[in-house]
Order: sequence, then structure tokens, then C-alpha cells
Amino acid sequence: MSSSPGATASLPSPASVAPAHSGGTARWRPPLRWLWAWPFPLALLLLWHLSSVLGWAPEQVLPPPAQVFRTFADMVASGEIWTNLEISLVRVFTGFGIGLLAGLVLGSVMGLSSAARDYLYPLFKAFAQVPVIGWLPLLMLLVGIDEALKFLLIAKATLVPVTLNTCQGIQGVPNRLIEVARVYGFSRWQMLTRVVFPVATAPIWNGVRYGLTHAWLALVVVELLASSEGIGFLIVYGRQLFQLDVVLASVLAVGIVGFAIDRLLSLTEAWLLRWRKPGL
Amino acid sequence: MAHAGTLDIRGLNKRYEVKGQPLPVLHDINLTIKPGEFVSIVGTSGCGKSTLLRLIIGLEEDYEGEILLDGTRVRGTNLNRGIVFQEHRLFPWLTVEKNIALGLLNSGLTEGQQRATIREHIELVGLNGFEKAYPHQLSGGMSQRVAIARALVNRPDILLLDEPFGALDAMTRAHLQQELHRIWQTEGITMILVTHDVEEAVYLGDKVVVMEPRPGRIRRTVPVPLAHPRDRASYAFTTVKDNVLREFGEHSAAELAEPPLKTARPDTSTWQFAV
Amino acid sequence: MSQATSSGGVPPALRPWVLPVLILLLWWWAVASGWSTSPLLVSPWAVWEKALQQITSGDLWAALSASLWRNAQGFVAGASAGLAVGVLLGWSRWAERLVGPSFHTLKQISLFAWIPMLSMWFGLGDGAKIAFIAMAAFFPMVLNTFEGLRSVPREFIEVGRVYGFGFRQQLTRVIAPSAAPSVFTGVQLALIYSWLATLGSEYLMASGPGIGNTLIDGREHFQMDLVLFGVVVIGLVGSVLNAATGALERRLLAWRDRTVARY
Repeated sequence: MSSSPGATASLPSPASVAPAHSGGTARWRPPLRWLWAWPFPLALLLLWHLSSVLGWAPEQVLPPPAQVFRTFADMVASGEIWTNLEISLVRVFTGFGIGLLAGLVLGSVMGLSSAARDYLYPLFKAFAQVPVIGWLPLLMLLVGIDEALKFLLIAKATLVPVTLNTCQGIQGVPNRLIEVARVYGFSRWQMLTRVVFPVATAPIWNGVRYGLTHAWLALVVVELLASSEGIGFLIVYGRQLFQLDVVLASVLAVGIVGFAIDRLLSLTEAWLLRWRKPGL
Repeated sequence: MAHAGTLDIRGLNKRYEVKGQPLPVLHDINLTIKPGEFVSIVGTSGCGKSTLLRLIIGLEEDYEGEILLDGTRVRGTNLNRGIVFQEHRLFPWLTVEKNIALGLLNSGLTEGQQRATIREHIELVGLNGFEKAYPHQLSGGMSQRVAIARALVNRPDILLLDEPFGALDAMTRAHLQQELHRIWQTEGITMILVTHDVEEAVYLGDKVVVMEPRPGRIRRTVPVPLAHPRDRASYAFTTVKDNVLREFGEHSAAELAEPPLKTARPDTSTWQFAV
Repeated sequence: MSQATSSGGVPPALRPWVLPVLILLLWWWAVASGWSTSPLLVSPWAVWEKALQQITSGDLWAALSASLWRNAQGFVAGASAGLAVGVLLGWSRWAERLVGPSFHTLKQISLFAWIPMLSMWFGLGDGAKIAFIAMAAFFPMVLNTFEGLRSVPREFIEVGRVYGFGFRQQLTRVIAPSAAPSVFTGVQLALIYSWLATLGSEYLMASGPGIGNTLIDGREHFQMDLVLFGVVVIGLVGSVLNAATGALERRLLAWRDRTVARY
């Protein structure tokens, strides 16, 4: 049974013309895609506003949106958000840096040397089985709740994906490229710098991406549990005072940072892997 | 022997709308294909030959003019018309025999009948022993043979082939051309082959339809009055081939000498549900 | 890459054990020699004894079963909701236009940041925890289901049309199998995140039994042996989950010629 021409048809001269929805029964394509992102959240916002106006929930549980935004603005103006954000960001990037370095080294060693892999990989896999959150109480006992705790945990969160991806990235360099290098008499150094690592860049980058995402995740957890400053602490602080507006404002800040990190990663990826064909 | 159909195309015109402007893709195509005939269609990119096949198979429907199979107007897809695409389009999660069985899903045959005809067609394309293999285990040539078996398993009246061997290496291509010829002689179905490769067109076809682009139309039809089996090196063969190539004088010869580079992997463009 | 030649080295089969054994020996020696006087430095033997005690007293079972039961409930709730929403977004262009961006924005918010809010609304009981676990399973499930549906190749749909597939046939024989690997990845990620969420919820909404609570208790009472034991248990659960999903993947998706690594 055939359907109406709803499937996009490829045109005979793909180079000159972008694929269009097949003609004949032209389908109405809504203009300005980004406009359509707004109705849903705005509707929710309206619902929220109504619920606080009509008193469907006590103000403690659901403060009016206006108040949340005002609180957010206040916190921004007073610098409260900035100082805490700064602390958090410094933590996450330091921890990330440590974990990244360690992960690259460890991953490279395991990737390049099968002997090292034999000795280290099983232990590493076992270590990786316990998530950051599982290590938290243990590390709290060992190093207290100072910065060291945060750095270590964030580093661990980064370490695992970076190591695994680096190791597998190096191992996954296609043999056919290595053979080309051997035919041209590449030295070991040349092999590494001109073949292995450039090819492994893509999977390593994947590990870096996951590493940063997990690092941020770990930071939030640590600050929620064991910190007296930082953006996670702000959330807990608001919670303890039962001020949802403070909580929401801080969550908003967390979301913005998360979004910014994602953006940063996309841009870096686009630049780093610009030689790659899009898609597969 | 399957029943071979007569294909009649009269005054076929097709247009696309691109950003509001009409783009003519096919212009006044008139073609009659006799039952059991093998017709090759050659042309450079943009001459609409693939679109022509898609209209005949019924994947596209909006056109002016007539496409008649045995006198009946072609409407949508139907099991009496088969197609082999350039990418094999085998479902990776199904074995070879299950992929071929897909063609029989709506055929109304009993299970026993299905099994018999699947076995027959696996034998026809020379893939005995590979029934339970998965597509990722097969070479490009073998995958394409499965695709041919799948297209033939319904014994369609007409088989369309859209550059089926374009993604294969020259030796596999030559081998499969011979296979296709053998299958055609055995089954006797009407076949239409679209290709960039002029030699392939002359080797297989009873006639070669030359198309030109912008808008796509038939430039000339070159008959191939050669007996089978055809010798590609023979003088008669080369003459016909030159005849065809001459039609492309004003276009770049390089475009025809070698089929353009296409990846063997299916293009994973996303499909949008029409809601 | 270097060859695995080690003439005179440790035979490959034993290599994985070298470091763990060394560490164990070092640890035992550190305790036995009195190298550190910290009460935190418990001997490996103490951990073993604690393990036995926990197992025989039934404490381990109580804690683990509580955690796993919450995990299961949250996972099932979140994953099924995720599947539904994922199908909706993947299916309907309008749904994707309207709800998609909001969803993608929400998923940017680091998961655990939601807990304080949830605890304000739902308290600290099981319900709140399960709600959080469901959230953790929800997001990856939606994303991967959506992705799977979106990337059904048009070419396969056309094959279906050529063979006269009706809507149901397209759905069951083309769309579903094609989207299955992505959906399965979603399930795997949902499992991982829901386990993380289970532990996190036990830390941050500390009430009731659970393996996370065991660890918190251990920490609060400076019982290193309990904490270490808890860590081992968590690691074991994690690896069992990984192994199970890996095995399932190999069975269900045997037609693929590679397994996809997920972190």
C-alpha cells in the first residue's frame, strides 16, 4: 500500500538543489521553527502563575514565578550566584584537568602496551564499576570534606570515561593505516604522532566529552552533600531554609552552566574534528 | 517462467517544487517496452532516470501523462513490479532467507509455497549455503544478489534495476552482469536497467535509451542487434557502444567513462513521519 | 603497538591478579606493622569479618533488597514513561517542535540538582526517592527512543512500500527493528542512571534502609570496614547490571557486527 507523497524525494541534481518535500500536494511547513519552542513552556509558566495566584499550593511549596525570577535577579545582583558559581567552576575544571591528564596517560599506556593492559585493565574495570557516588563516603572518611574531596571525586568521574575511550581509541586505529606508515618507514614516534593519535582523536574526544559531563554531575553531587559553598551548596541552603525560590534560582544557574558546557563542547568538537564527514 | 508485461509510457511529465519554483525533472517521455524485453537506460546525472524508475515502481505518484502496465494504469506500488536499488537495502536484522521472505509477506502464498520459492530463488542467484547468513557477513556483490532474489521472488511482470552494480568493483560488476543476463534468459521477465555504465547497457540491453538532463528527456534510442552471448571486445559491440557514447558528445566524456563515486552504504537520511 | 612478548614475565593469565594481590599485601602489611595509627586503617581481615557479619545477620539483604526494589520501581516507571514520550517526540513532528526544545533544555540540568526540590515537594520517603529514580531513567530513554525512531532509514520504508506493507507491517517489520538498537541503548543508560540515582537518593534523602544508607551510616560512625564493604557491594551490583545488559544485548542484537560501547 503506498502512501501519499510524504516521503522526502531526492532530486536528480543533488548538488545544485537542496532536497525539498515532494511537490504536488505541498505540505504546509511552519515558519520560524524556533518560535514553536515557546508555546509549551509559556503555557507551563502560565499554569504555574495561575496556581500561585489561585492558591492551589502553599507558597512554600510553589512560590509564584515572579518571585523566583526576582530572587534570581537579586542573587545575581548581589554577586551571590557569581561567587558560588566561580567556586564551583574552579573546582570542576581543576578536577577535570587532573582526571583528564591522568586518564590520557593511563589510557595511552594501556592502549599502546598490551602488557600494561593485562596488568592494569582488570583492576581499572573493577574500579570503574563503583560510581563516584559510591566512593563518596569512603573518601569523606579518608580526606574529610575539604577541597581535596571534591578534586578527587571530580577527577575520578573524569578519569573513567577518558581512560576507557583513550584506550579503545588507540586500540581501534585501523591496521590498514598502520601498514601505510610501516611501508613508509615511520619511526615509532612518527607512527604515534602522525597516525595513532590523530586517528584516535575522535574516540578520545568522545571520552573527554563524557568526562566533562560526568565531572559536572559529580560536582553537583559533592556540593549537595559536603560543601559550604558553591552552587550545589546554594541549592541545599535554599532547601534547608525551605525557600524554593532560592532552590529554583540555583537550579536555573546549574542548568545554564550545563548548557554552556554543552555548547562549548560542541564548538570545540566542530573545530577539532572538522576533517570528519558529518553523519556516519 | 514468469509472465512478462508490456510497459507503455506516454507523454510523461514530472515537476518538483523547489522553494516555490517548479523544477521540471522529466519532459515528454514516451517509451514502449515489449514483453520480455531488456531495456537499458543511460544518461548523466540529473537526467531523471532514477525518477523515471521511481514513477514506474510507484514510489512517486505525482505526474502528468500515462504509465501503463499491460494496459492498466500504474497506481502506487504493486507486487507485479519489482525493483533492485543501488544500495542493496537488505534489513540487517534478518537473515538472507528472511530478507527474501519479506517480499512474499503480502503475496498470499502458503508457508510451504513460500519456502519452496525462496529456495528456488536462492539457487537462481547462486547463493546456496548462505540462507542463514546476516547481511553484514556478506560481500557487496552477494548482498546485491540477495536483493535481486528478493525482487524476483514474487515473479513480477517487470523488474526495474536502478544502477544495481554501481557500488561494486569492476570484477564483481562484470560477474553480476553475466548473472543478471542468465537470470533474464531463464525467467524471461521484462527488465529495465538504469545505469551510468554504457558498456553494461550495451552488454545487457536489447535497446539502449539515451537520456539527457535539464529537463530529463529521451534523446535517442539505440537498438542493440547483437546475438547473445555478447563479446565486449568484438567490433560490432564497440560500434554500438560508440554509437551511444557519441550522443554524449557535448557533455564531459569523463562522466560516462567511469561511474561516479558513490558509497556502498545506504544513505541514512531521516524519515519523517507525516503527522 | 607493542607485542605481548614477555619472556620471563608473568604469564598473561595471572597478570590481572598481580596488582590486586600486591595492594592487598601492602594493605595488610600497613596494618600489621602499625605503620599508621589512624583508626581508619582497618585490616583486610576486618572487612572480611564485617562482610560475613552483614551477610549472616541479614543486614545486607535488607539494605540491598530495599535499594534494588526502589531501583526497579523507579526504573520501570521512568523507562516506560520515557519510551512513551520518546515515541511521541519521534513520531509527531508537532510534538517534537512544541515539546522537544523544552525537553532538551531540562535535560541540561544536572540530574542531582533536582533532589532538593523533589524532597521539598515529596518529603524524604520512598515516594520521593522513586520519583527521582524515575526521572533519572526517563531522560536517556526519551533521547534514545527519539533518536531511534528518527533514524529509521527512508530506504527501508521504501522497500516496505515496494512490497505492499500496510501501516502495521511497516511498524512491526521496519520501524521497530530499525529503532530497536537505539531503544536498547536507552534502556542500558536508563539502568545505569537509575542505579546512580538510587544511591544518590539514599544519600540525599536519608531515610529508610538501603545500601547507600549503609555507607552513610558507616561514614558517620567512622566504620571504615562497613564503608569498604559497602563499596564492594555497590561495585558488584554495578558489574552484574553491566554483564546482564551486555548479555541481553548480544542475544537480541546478534545481527549487528559490532557492540556499541557505552559509558
